[in-house]
Amino acid sequence: MTNNRSNHVHVTSNGGIHRRAFLADMGMGFTGLALGAMLAQDGIVRADAEKLWLPPNGQPHFPPKAKSVVWLFMNGGVSHMESFDPKPELTKFGGKSIGETPYKDAQNPDKLKLARVTVVNDANGQQRNKLYPLQVGYKKYGEAGIELSDWVPHVGACVDDLSIIRSMWTTDDNHGAQTQFHSGRHMLDGEYPTLGAWVNYGLGSVNDNLPQFISMGNREYWNAKDGHYLGPAHDAIPIRVDPNNPLDFAKSASGISDEEQQLGFDLVGGLNRLKAVEYPKDAALAARIKAYELAFRMQTSVPEVLNLNSETKETEALYGLDDPATRDFGMQMLATRRFIERGVRFIQVQHGAGGAGVWDAHSGLKTNHEKNFKAVDKPIAGLLQDLKRRGLLDSTIVLFASEFGRTPGTQGSDGRDHHIYGFSVWMAGGGIKGGVVHGATDEIGFHAVENRHYVTDIHATILKQLGLDSRKLEVPGRKRLEIDHGMPIDEILV
Amino acid sequence: MSLNSKTLLALLAALCMSNSTLAQQANVDYVKQVKPVFVERCVACHGALKQEGGLRLDTVALAIQGGESGPALVPGEVDSSRLLQRISAKEESDRMPPEGEPLKPDQIAAIQNWIAQNATGPVDEKPDQDPRDHWAFKTPVRPVVPNLGSTTAEQERWNHNPVDRFIANEHRNRDLKPQPEADKRVWLRRVSLDLIGLPPTLAELDAFVADASLDAHDKIVTRLLDSPQYGERWGRHWMDVWRYSDWWGLGAEVRNSQKHIWHWRDWIVESLNADKGYDQMLREMLAADELYPNDLDRLRASGFLARQYFKFNRTSWLDETVEHTSKAMLGLTFNCAKCHDHKYDPIAHVDYYQMRAIFEPYQVRTDFLPGEVDPERDGLPRAFDCNLDSETFLHVRGDDRNPDKSRPMHPAVPAFLSNASWQIQPVALPPDAYLPSLRPFVAESYIKAAEKTIDAAKATLETARKKLVEVEAAARVAAEEAAANQLSLPVSNETSANPNATEAKGSKKSKAADKPLNSEQARLGVLIAEKALAAAMAQSLTIPARAAAEHARVQPPSTGNAASLAQEAVKLERIATVAKAEQAAAQAEMDVALAVDNKKEELEKKRTAALAAVETAKQSLQMPAENFTPLMGSLKTLESNLETEESRRKPFPHTSTGRRTALANWMTDPKHPLPARVAVNHIWMRHMGKPLVPTVFDFGLKGTPPTHPELLDWLAVELIEKGWSMKHLHRLIVTSQAYRMSSSNAGASVDNETRDPENRFYWRANPVRMEAQSLRDSLLHLAGELDLTLGGPSIPANDENSRRRSLYFVHSHNEHQKFLSMFDDASVLDCYRRAESIVPQQALALENSKLATAMGEKIAQRIAKTYPDATDTEFIRAAFLTVLSVEPTSQEQSLASESLTRLTVIAQQKNRENPTAHARTSLVLALLNHNDFVTIR
Repeated sequence: MTNNRSNHVHVTSNGGIHRRAFLADMGMGFTGLALGAMLAQDGIVRADAEKLWLPPNGQPHFPPKAKSVVWLFMNGGVSHMESFDPKPELTKFGGKSIGETPYKDAQNPDKLKLARVTVVNDANGQQRNKLYPLQVGYKKYGEAGIELSDWVPHVGACVDDLSIIRSMWTTDDNHGAQTQFHSGRHMLDGEYPTLGAWVNYGLGSVNDNLPQFISMGNREYWNAKDGHYLGPAHDAIPIRVDPNNPLDFAKSASGISDEEQQLGFDLVGGLNRLKAVEYPKDAALAARIKAYELAFRMQTSVPEVLNLNSETKETEALYGLDDPATRDFGMQMLATRRFIERGVRFIQVQHGAGGAGVWDAHSGLKTNHEKNFKAVDKPIAGLLQDLKRRGLLDSTIVLFASEFGRTPGTQGSDGRDHHIYGFSVWMAGGGIKGGVVHGATDEIGFHAVENRHYVTDIHATILKQLGLDSRKLEVPGRKRLEIDHGMPIDEILV
Repeated sequence: MSLNSKTLLALLAALCMSNSTLAQQANVDYVKQVKPVFVERCVACHGALKQEGGLRLDTVALAIQGGESGPALVPGEVDSSRLLQRISAKEESDRMPPEGEPLKPDQIAAIQNWIAQNATGPVDEKPDQDPRDHWAFKTPVRPVVPNLGSTTAEQERWNHNPVDRFIANEHRNRDLKPQPEADKRVWLRRVSLDLIGLPPTLAELDAFVADASLDAHDKIVTRLLDSPQYGERWGRHWMDVWRYSDWWGLGAEVRNSQKHIWHWRDWIVESLNADKGYDQMLREMLAADELYPNDLDRLRASGFLARQYFKFNRTSWLDETVEHTSKAMLGLTFNCAKCHDHKYDPIAHVDYYQMRAIFEPYQVRTDFLPGEVDPERDGLPRAFDCNLDSETFLHVRGDDRNPDKSRPMHPAVPAFLSNASWQIQPVALPPDAYLPSLRPFVAESYIKAAEKTIDAAKATLETARKKLVEVEAAARVAAEEAAANQLSLPVSNETSANPNATEAKGSKKSKAADKPLNSEQARLGVLIAEKALAAAMAQSLTIPARAAAEHARVQPPSTGNAASLAQEAVKLERIATVAKAEQAAAQAEMDVALAVDNKKEELEKKRTAALAAVETAKQSLQMPAENFTPLMGSLKTLESNLETEESRRKPFPHTSTGRRTALANWMTDPKHPLPARVAVNHIWMRHMGKPLVPTVFDFGLKGTPPTHPELLDWLAVELIEKGWSMKHLHRLIVTSQAYRMSSSNAGASVDNETRDPENRFYWRANPVRMEAQSLRDSLLHLAGELDLTLGGPSIPANDENSRRRSLYFVHSHNEHQKFLSMFDDASVLDCYRRAESIVPQQALALENSKLATAMGEKIAQRIAKTYPDATDTEFIRAAFLTVLSVEPTSQEQSLASESLTRLTVIAQQKNRENPTAHARTSLVLALLNHNDFVTIR
């Protein structure tokens, strides 16, 4: 990290802020003020630079294929073998140590080198030698006939809309990998902007009444914020699916009436406008006027989105709202669709609060995953179908991921440990092909062996579909590494 | 642009062409197409900073001149240009540049064509400057203060403060006309918020407006700088820069920073209030343990190092220490040299690890403080050199799994930076420092704690005795009743004297402890309590004996009676052991007495063992020994998750390496070019709204040059020569005319805005958004609710009722105060400058939060109390003055008045208890949401 983290949103009111950037911010979801102008103003841009650096203007760099992103993240680590990458060889060699099987080369130390250990000799994040049989059956789904586990029947039914990527890898063998999945950086490197923050920074709003970058569900391990050096204006706004208390400070603690509050807001706006006569061309003042107007609208518009009463019974059932096992996550999925409909750009939904995340099945994997898949499978499938029938899936990318997979070997008697060398994610919508399996792990699900992808390749793919070039988003003084940018997975794009 | 088929084809075509055809290609522009590639990819190693292979590529002439293996290129000769061969080599080992992606095909093609076209460049191309000559690496010399010459009366006021003469000189050079002075009230609010983080009260505003004396401003500055709130306000600023963080971890386990790190925060606040020199503050933070090994007040400073603690990864821990020591104190990005030589500054890969070696021996421990012997409850987290012989190795490419063990790194600083001396002198520590139990208060603390235990034991004994009396009385009554009953009813002879005994028989399943005691058990209870008291007393007697023995052992001149004192201590410890064993035996007896049948046998065995332990303990009384248990006066923090509790208690070394003292002395040497400049820049920025050097933690070659280099140097020299007094610097800045200007653009000449649209040259003041802490503190202050208690343990982040200043909230990676975090609170990872975002959630927080609404109400009540019969107009004026420190304009008056009327009507319609007061509260809340409340104008 080599530059002043706060230059970018430093606002000193003056008329010198570049008009284009300023207007971009004013019109565009208000993601904090005029980063580039501030840098230029402070002389961060070197005098000999050919062109004055400017912040993103809220427009894509090239024609986009998608407008919005739904980022579904399963906290704790999902077993890829028991979901999207079934491995019968595990059952065949169950109970044998890897060394006794034809796949003993998986443990070749050279192949294990990519692990970057945070906690030395931790109880978890270790190699587990004894292969653990599959804890669930699997079968072919869809016209594509893709093999998936019996725990994902509903998402399985949508497989012809999915691209399943079975060849992911990461480097943090502990839950810092959650941070890593979002930012591309190992937690020992520090904290870097997440993909959602980059998107929020690069593209403006498509709706002025709602926050553009939303997060639902618990955020766990070192993954509480997004903006980091892009500034807190690019943090996701945490939303609860509760119209009465949807976000922090959404309701007055004093219990005044809406009418009184409207008057209060009007008075603030009026006084600020008068102040602008005394302090003309004060960018911060202008921005604050705008922020208050948006805040006032948000107070009404956010609860409106979260009020699910207008949905039909059929829709409620589609998301599993009628079943206590699926209801909580189903409500988040339904709210997600409602936000997408209203043009919200990026929605992160984290499933599984507690510890490092509920999917972290070091023991009792079968009970754990059965229960967790039960909670998310139908609601996710509901979201996919609902988006599709409303014509929104074409412009919305849906990602399903967790920070890593789980070990082919058993931990204790009935668990699986963290596994970074090969795991699965899937994507759908927004110009992503359907019915595709991309990449592969070896026969026991240990190493990604074909079309290997680091987590930032997912970022690159999403950015490409949104029409963004991550290199053009780079901030002066915050040099990004080649691997931070990743490479789009063109094979899964329409 | 990535590699695509078109560029590939073009490249292939180019490679097949002869030189003559190449020369016919479109002309390559060296400056636009070639030089940027060299700058980006080559000159870090082949330029002014380094000349690998003797080659430089920063000018065409130097490239042609070449290096050890001859010319890098021959104009017009594509085939014999080595540069081209190297950049297009197929083998990775041959290819340049050695790191990162190969050059792109179109870049290679451009270079090739350019060579073919005779490799021409600008005639006047100059080689890059030697980075060692960079301005920030030279000791600042006090510049001559510009003479403004003949001046008008208006200009004359800029002629008194040297700061103004530098600023005005630039105004003149650039033909900028400064804005007029801000309103007196605006200045008072500005300076109050800047220096103490709190706005002026109505009374303070009135007094200042009425004070027409020439030194009215000076008096205010003196008052504010003398206020203890100054240290809190600026303490928080420096806490940003020095990365203050409370501890976080899992449960009670510390993973990052340290428990009780707030002692360091208090040291910062107190040091600033005492105007301790900045140099002295750095010395204490880096090396108080070596310089003042027994000064607990100063040792608090080494919280700076204790805060860096990271349990899971020593390399991360030291990386952060090196990175942030150099960014905060030197304004250098040392961290860029972790994996390879710095690309811009002359900091070599080796320098990074030499810097790390300075910190390598240090670890963290918690010294006991007077009155507390439980380091979980309180104690002083501090650094000390623990592992004197631990070696540092360079990590190849920054990979900690790949240390180069052939070359141990010695502690050193880069020589180019300063000719200040670099000398490491090991420090012999006084015994109290490595045996903190020798500190007189430690034994006293233990004795106090022991007295508390004795008092508690006495109270327990008292209770046990009362219980016995009750039980015996009850038994007597029962016996008498039984005797009386026997006259009329025949009962089984199993009936015991204890009425409870039958009950016990009837409910065997009930837990033993639940049963009321019988007399025998009550007697045992008394016995246990007596034994416990005896044990507590015996234990307490060991404390002075152990302390005396420890003193005699280590403190010269050896008194000769060390052995007998040690024996005495051992004897007392053994007596205490016997007493404890007897207490345990009594307890074992009780356990047997209360046991349910199936546990009886097991508990009887335990009783036998306990009695045997008493015998063993008694026997050892006869054998003299000297191995007493020293008192503990400090507890080392686990060095990592791999360390055992046992090694945690290893003795502390008697010497310290002196490495950090050497660093501190080198850094605070007046000849050092960086620390004073870096500090001045931080202080300037927090008064003037922008820094002189925009890249506040990078004064290196990649940093941005100062807008006012002479002013920066003048202030740096001034700081040093005035004993590094920060209060002196504050006074200089805030008493300047530059600081008095209005922040408005109104009436500014068009030329100002054309010539300096960004106000880099201070033709007006810069408005600044209040930091999160000032904002919350101001709300409380205006409401008369602020609790000005100084210092102490951090307040839980979720304590919404606390009225303390915001810097006292727990602030760590894991815990943030919610309201503060809405307003760009400091990141504990690094925060050299706060962000100033403007987002709608801030509006919601100020409009809706419990804090804002409650304070709004209190402020309205206060105004009403001061002006009980105020009309709306009078109330509006008072509210403007209170909240914004300005008079309302007539338009503001009428707008506010109109709203107030409508709010009152609504309140009446809604049958509010006091409609006027209700409406007025809404007005105050609106003013708290006014741009100019959160803004320092």
